[in-house]
Amino acid sequence: MTWVIVAAFIYPAPQQQIGDASRIFYFHVPQAWVAVLAFCFSLVGSINYLRKGTLVDDDRARVAAELGTLFCILATVTGSIFAKVTWHSFWNWDPRETSIFILLLIYGAYFALRSAIDGPEKRARLAAVYAIFAFVTVPFLIFVVPRVLPSLHPSDSIVNESGKITMSGATALIFFPSLAVFTALFVWIYTLGLRVSQRQRAITEEAMQ
Amino acid sequence: MTSNYTAMAVTLVIWIGLFLYLIVLDRKTKKLEEKK
Repeated sequence: MTWVIVAAFIYPAPQQQIGDASRIFYFHVPQAWVAVLAFCFSLVGSINYLRKGTLVDDDRARVAAELGTLFCILATVTGSIFAKVTWHSFWNWDPRETSIFILLLIYGAYFALRSAIDGPEKRARLAAVYAIFAFVTVPFLIFVVPRVLPSLHPSDSIVNESGKITMSGATALIFFPSLAVFTALFVWIYTLGLRVSQRQRAITEEAMQ
Repeated sequence: MTSNYTAMAVTLVIWIGLFLYLIVLDRKTKKLEEKK
């Protein structure tokens, strides 16, 4: 991560049209990627809970949804800073901005639902069903809507329509390690969050006996 | 260019802070798991 931060701010020359604001790209896109990955983990945890009924899977779904929301907020904030520099406004209701806003509302409702239900089993079951429906919107909002509607976001900054990588070697040298370290950071926090949840559960069970 | 260095320094401080926090949390969790 240290390499990514130092290289992102110093190594590549500023982009011709948007200048130094282009450096946000090395953080904004990996954060959005991790958010989608985390929501995917949440979906898998939810499906597994409904299949097996073990509360560990509910913990997996919840921790992943928490991290997905956190990275979604980070992507929104970095995107807003980029929008202010590039499009002169923090918020433009661009299809991608609108999509991420709806996504935040959907996952905000997930946590509201969880906090409104007493009883771990009932909460886990309802939250799992909701999380599955919530994830159905993710590919639609992240991948379909921004491509169907006209958008301020460039559509070919990573790959073009024929699937070919469009970025230069210098950009790729920072962007792909950034994707890898953000993914590793997510996995680290996710496993840590799971371990803390399991300890909490064990302590609660010990106290009840 | 100076603003780039400032932004880099701030980002590095945030990253190192987060990294140290996660390491401490990791150790504390490990200790709790060992107590079990």
